[in-house]
This record gives sequence, structure tokens and C-alpha cells, in this order.
Amino acid sequence: MQNNMEKQTKFKVLLVDDEEIFREATARQLRVRGFTVLTADGGEAALELVQSDPPEVVLLDQEMPGMHGSETFAAIKEINPLIEVIMLTGNTSVDNALELMKLGTFDYLMKPVNIEELLYKIEDAHARKQLIERRQRSGSTTP
Amino acid sequence: MRVWDMRLLQDDLPAEKRRSEHLYDYADSEENRRRVNQHFDKLQRGLIIGLIIGFLLPNALLAAYFHYQFTHTLRSSAILNLQTVADNQKNSLDLYLRERIGNLYNLLLSPGFALAPTKAAMNDYLRILTNFHDGFIDVGLINPKGVQIGYAGASPELLGKDYSDTPWLQQLLKEDKHHIVSDSYLGSRQNAEFTMAVRHTFAGKVYVLRATLDPDKLYMLLRSTVHGGSVESALVNANGQYQVVDPKTGNATDRGPFVPPLTQSVAIHEQDIDETSTLIAYTWLKEAPWALLVTQPLSVAQSGMHQARLILTVSLISISLLFCIIIFFTIRKLTNDARRMADKGRQLQEMLAHASKLASIGELAAGVAHEINNPLAIIMATSGVIRDMFNPAFDLDNSTEALYKELTVIDNAATRAKGITKKLQEMGKTRMPQTEPCEINTQVETVVNRLKKVEFKGKAIEVELALSPDLPPILAECERLRQVFNNILVNAADAIQDKGVITITTGIQDGMVAITIADTGRGIPQKNLERIFHPFFTTKGGSLGTGLGLSIAASIVKHLGGVIKVNSVVGKGSTFTILLPTNFYCPLH
Repeated sequence: MQNNMEKQTKFKVLLVDDEEIFREATARQLRVRGFTVLTADGGEAALELVQSDPPEVVLLDQEMPGMHGSETFAAIKEINPLIEVIMLTGNTSVDNALELMKLGTFDYLMKPVNIEELLYKIEDAHARKQLIERRQRSGSTTP
Repeated sequence: MRVWDMRLLQDDLPAEKRRSEHLYDYADSEENRRRVNQHFDKLQRGLIIGLIIGFLLPNALLAAYFHYQFTHTLRSSAILNLQTVADNQKNSLDLYLRERIGNLYNLLLSPGFALAPTKAAMNDYLRILTNFHDGFIDVGLINPKGVQIGYAGASPELLGKDYSDTPWLQQLLKEDKHHIVSDSYLGSRQNAEFTMAVRHTFAGKVYVLRATLDPDKLYMLLRSTVHGGSVESALVNANGQYQVVDPKTGNATDRGPFVPPLTQSVAIHEQDIDETSTLIAYTWLKEAPWALLVTQPLSVAQSGMHQARLILTVSLISISLLFCIIIFFTIRKLTNDARRMADKGRQLQEMLAHASKLASIGELAAGVAHEINNPLAIIMATSGVIRDMFNPAFDLDNSTEALYKELTVIDNAATRAKGITKKLQEMGKTRMPQTEPCEINTQVETVVNRLKKVEFKGKAIEVELALSPDLPPILAECERLRQVFNNILVNAADAIQDKGVITITTGIQDGMVAITIADTGRGIPQKNLERIFHPFFTTKGGSLGTGLGLSIAASIVKHLGGVIKVNSVVGKGSTFTILLPTNFYCPLH
């Protein structure tokens, strides 16, 4: 079962957060569960990674100095609309997060994040991405 | 407690206002409401009184003016009318009398007039006279001795009467006049009558032909020439006795209302008769020693005006009343509307104040949540890591050292969260603990020296001090004051990229102690300028800033009754000016 899970979840995740300790602790948890985890400390660094080494799913902190989470999200979608984005928010206000979901984020999670919940969301996001990709492929092969 | 106040940015508020203003205070609002109500009551009263006076006064003046003019004109025209009537009547009377005198003359000088007439001849003469005019009552001839030697008429006993003593005969003979008209007198049958006599000299002897006439005929003549019933005419003699008069007014030989002075033309006299103001036009007759009085009560002369005045007064009053009512209701409606608007405005203001307070609280809560959630997220993630270390499936290093390392991370995060709550508490403090006179310059120097060792390290920051030597001390917690300077200076240092100057100036400004901290840093954009004092507003990333520094500084300064002003130019630097009211007066100074 462990092998099965590892096999299923072997894909690339990008974690963007300005809080280094949180970022690294979360990345370590994800890595031991078989994910390939890229990390970035801000929007600019994240966009570079999206271009050079595109991940399947992005975990994106909303409140960041410099480039704000929502701006970063928009920029990611511009580079690659297929990448799924899950917002992380430390704010109790969910209005902004809901607004962003309308714009196309997969979901949002409130900090502090429960690791199990985070895993489910990442997998769901990945599943949706694969579904969309498959649909696009079949759409393009049978015109 | 209010942690943030937009007014901190405003330069032009007077000092006492800054300290006394509240966002919302029930008692304050009641007082305000009362004041506004009073203002509107006053306004309404003023408007109503003003408009009513402004409308009524000119109206009344105009009405009074027209009334005066109208009265004057009416009086003038009444006088003119009376004078015309008097003139006409005088002419008629003179003509009448002249005709009667002519009748007598013609008779006396007629050929064949017998100077010793028989009774039949006298009767003939009387018939001739009455043929001319039926006003003749009798006729008599008086010889040069004054004895009536011929008579015809209703009183035959007058034949042979000696007239030499009668005033009219004496006057006729003495004054060299050829004719005379006597005053009225009561005749033998108690009827008013008057005598008319003419004289002529026959062969050196003077004979007088006299006749008695009925004054009623004169009265009829007067009546026939009067236009309208309101005018009354009468004749009086030089003694003021009635000669011819309306029987309703008086009897012949009664005294009339007034003895007219001798005048040539028609004159006007005004007198009260029977308590009625009366206009009298008078003139003297040519042929008789009588004056014609034409009277008309003033009230009759002005009766047209009375009606006009009544209409004028009634309409003026009713129009004025109507206008007063319209003015009153219009103004009441207008002021009520204005009052309602003001009330709404005030409510809106209160709601806004309340909303901004709530927003401030909301902002605080959001900031707290974010700042607390970040360390919590670290704690949770790290505890997850530790849990993973003990999961055999992951085969991780779970040595004591590794475990300790993770636990230290958790401790640090918890300490960070504690720091935030502690700072929040500090900000919320409203108590006034031990205060002492603090020398501002000393505090500034202490803070600068401390910062030079820690915060300013690693940057080429030059600190220039321009401290005024004789500043009054400020009664406060010195540590709090140092915190204010510290927080602003830390920001100033952060604003400076690598190299810059911070200038600290102290002095007196508007009677307050002023501490100015100017940096040559990157400056604050306009959109942020309004928010820099908001708790948790920060532009410093990650764990560098809590966003509480300036809001704590503002809170402390506000507590001391002071104010922080900000001036900033992006790219040039920012200037923070702290103004503190002097609250300590040293008896030695």
C-alpha cells in the first residue's frame, strides 16, 4: 500500500512562502511522502521556477512581501494555465481566498495547515490537472 | 482606546481640538444634537420674524402713505366742491335779490306812480309785484317823514305806522344808498320775513317803497341749487343769526354756528358742529348784509374714503395674515427639512465613526490572526516533521539531537507568538504608571547610542543631532518615550538602503516640545501614508516587522496628549515630527 501511494503521488510540487522555517518544515513532510518539492521564498522566485522547472501543483502563500500571493497566482496561470494552485492563507478572512477560487485557484487552506488535509488537496488538485490534460489531448487528436 | 487616528496626519487642527475630539461619545452627541436643534430653532424664528417684518412693514407704510394721500385729496376736492356750490348759490341769491329790488324800483319809478296812493292803488301795486314774484307779502310807501302812507297786504294795521326809528330806514337814508335789505325778523303773524326797501327823491322829497318778502322763497332757491343732499346752505347776518335756514337745522333769528369774517371771495372754515367735524364754505352777499354758509360734515365729504379705507385695511390684514401663514409654514417646512438633513448627516457621521472604529478593530483582528497564525503554522509543521521522524515507513533520523533541533524551532515560534501578544498588551495599556520628568534630549541620546550598537550596524548610517539645550522636561514614563523614538528610528534605519543620514532635531514648536526625526531613506508612498499607524501594517517581509512599531508609538504619544506628524517624499526620505505638550513646570525655573 505504501508503494502504491508512493507511486501515485510521485509528482512535482512547488511550495511558495516567505516564512523559511514553515516552508522547510512543510517541504520535509511532503518530501518523505514521495513528492518532489521545489521551494521559493517569494513570487518572483516562484515564477522563475514555474518557467524553468514547471511543477504540477503550486502551494502559494497569500500574504507575502513583495509580490503578493494573488498576483503570483495570476502570473503563474499566465505562464501555464494547467498548473493547479492551492492558496495558503494565514488570514482569518476567507473573502479574498474565495475570490481567488472564482478566478481559478483549486482551493485554499488556512494556516496552520493539517498535513493530512494538505495531502488530500494536493492529490485532488493533481487529479484535476490530469483530467483536464487528458480531455485536452483527446480533444486535439479528434478534431 | 483608539490605536489609529487619521487626524495624526493632519497639520491644521488646533491643539486643544486634537486632544478633546472623540470618535463617538453618547453624551457628546446628545449635546451636539441639542446645539443643532437650538441653532435651527433660532434660524426658524429669525427667518419668520425677518420675513414677516420685511413684508409687513413696507406694506403698512405704503398703506399709510396712500391713506394719507387719499384723505388729503378727498378733503381738497370736498373743499373745492363746497366752494363752487357756495359761489353758485351766492350768485343766485344776489341775482334774486337784485331782481326783487329791480321790481320795487320799477314800481316806484313807473310813470303815474302816485305819491299819495289810495288803497286800491296799493293793492294794484302789490298785485304787480306778486305777478313778478310770489315772494312779495306786502308793500308800503313811506313818506319823507317816515310814516307809511300807503299799504297793501295782510297787515292793514301797518298803514300809518311811523318807520322813522327802524334801523334799516335810518341806514337807507343815511348811507346814501338807493336800496336796502333788512335782517329777517318775525312778522306780525310770527312768520319769518324780511324787508326790502328802495328810495327815490321826488321834487326834493325822499320817498321809500318798502316790501316784505318771504325768506322761504330764498330757502327754496338755495335748495334748488344744491347738488346732492349732503350739502346744507344757510344765510346768517353780521351777528351770526340765521336769516334763511333749513328748518331741521334751526329757526330764523337763531344764532348760527359761526360768524363769518368779512371776505370778498369764498373762504373755508372747519368747525365741530354737534361734535361732528364740519366743513363750512362762506361768502358775503353783495345785495344783503348776509353771509352764505354752505356746510358739509367732514365724514360725509370723506365717506368715499371711509369705505376705501375699510376695504384697504381689511384686504391688507387678510393678505398679510395669508402671507404670514404661508411664510410660517414654508419656513417651518424648510427648517424641518434642513433639520432632518442635519440629523441624517449626524447619524451618518456617527455611523461612519462607528464603522471606522469597527474597521480598525477588524484590521487589528486580521493582523493578530495573521501574525499568530504564522508561528502556529511553523509549530504545526515542525511537530508534523517530528511525527514523521518516528514513522518507521519514512526511515528518518530520530536521534535526540535531531529531535532537540526541531523542538527548538517550535520554542522559537512559540516565543514569537508570545512576543506579539505581549506587544498587543503594551499597546492596549491605558493605565498611567509611575511618571517622572524626562529630559527629552537625554532620552534621544540614550536611544541613538543603543541603536548604533545594534540596529544601525551593517549600514553606513550617520546620525546628526541638533538638540535644543533648554527644553522643558516631559512628565511621562521615560521608557515609553524612548520606545517612541526607538520605533521611529528603527523605521528610519530600515528605510535607508545602505547609506544615509538621520537627523534628529529637538525644539519648541507652537508651545509644544517638538522632536523631528528625518531620514534620507526611500520614503513612504502616498497610499501607505494613511496606513502606517494601523496596527500590523508593515512593508517589511517575513518575521522582520510586526507592523506594531508605529502604532505603539502613536498610542504612547496620544496618551501624552501629543501628536505625530508625517511628511514623506518617495525617494527623498521621511520626516516624523513628534509634538508633546509641556505638562511639567519645574518650580526652580
